[in-house]
Amino acid sequence: MNDDYLWDKTGQPDPEIQQLEQILGTLRYQPKPLVIPRRNYFPWLAIAASLLLALLAGGIWLRVRSHNEAPPQQARIETPKPVQAPQAPRNESALNPPLPPSKRIHKPRSASSVLPKAEREEALMAKEQLMLALRLTTQKLHLVHIKTQHKVG
Amino acid sequence: MKSLFHLNIRTPLLALLLCLAPALAAHAQDSRIQMAGLDHLTAKASQTIEVNLDERLMRIAAKVLSDKDEDERQVKKLVEGLKGVYVKSFQFETDGQYVAADVETIRTQLRGPGWTRLVNVTSKKEGMIEVYLLFNGDQVGGLAVLHTDDRELTVVNIVGPVDLDKLAKLEGQLGIPELGIESPKKSKNDDEK
Repeated sequence: MNDDYLWDKTGQPDPEIQQLEQILGTLRYQPKPLVIPRRNYFPWLAIAASLLLALLAGGIWLRVRSHNEAPPQQARIETPKPVQAPQAPRNESALNPPLPPSKRIHKPRSASSVLPKAEREEALMAKEQLMLALRLTTQKLHLVHIKTQHKVG
Repeated sequence: MKSLFHLNIRTPLLALLLCLAPALAAHAQDSRIQMAGLDHLTAKASQTIEVNLDERLMRIAAKVLSDKDEDERQVKKLVEGLKGVYVKSFQFETDGQYVAADVETIRTQLRGPGWTRLVNVTSKKEGMIEVYLLFNGDQVGGLAVLHTDDRELTVVNIVGPVDLDKLAKLEGQLGIPELGIESPKKSKNDDEK
């Protein structure tokens, strides 16, 4: 028997070895083309797009809200002052004195700007009613004050 | 025996207190004046002002009062602790649109316990202005102003501890223009007519 068959498959093969070859041959390495599995990125892309859209919508909403809230904040603070006739020249600081703290324009970053729109509208209406009521009350009290002072005087 | 006595006396006392608690609470809220009896005057009036601010609305209104603005801060301090502000004011085109019974529905309530008439001013031009305060012990628990004129009927009711000095100082502030209240000299002349 030639043992070269076991070494380089030359010579006379042994039937037992051939049988073993057949049995084990099924487990032999089978060359296959390399297939790279394609990952599905669609869910991640959908999530990222949704987040982006939500951020964008939030940004636009904040911008619109702050834009809408700005006018009433400014409208009720500044009262036009009567234009005065030209006088003797003064220095710049005297012509444009800094506004007192109570007359300064507030930035729309108060507690009121945090309120939801519906509650804010209700609050502004309530404030108007409150001012009206206080105005009427102080008017009457002032009248009483004047009359009583007059009587005492 | 002593503990039994205490137990026996405590139980009815506790029950009595529990029964009285709602009544006492109701009494504390008595500074609210019922003005529904004047509603029929709305149809006759040329101008009606009605303000109904309960405690919840007062709190909401206080939220939009700025802390940075001096005037609004004063109002905020004034309304702190108030439980409500109610106003009904009717202006009429002609005399005699309301009757004494209408005013009496208000005065009856102001004659109730706790209410004290602080001031009563009468003048030909301005009619009669009465200021009432409700005292809960030493504390002011409410204010009512009743102004009756030939062509005006106004009821103001502030519920809760109100500071009269602060209230009186508010006129002309808050961007509220002076309301054309006549000067003392002018009123003097009118009264002398």
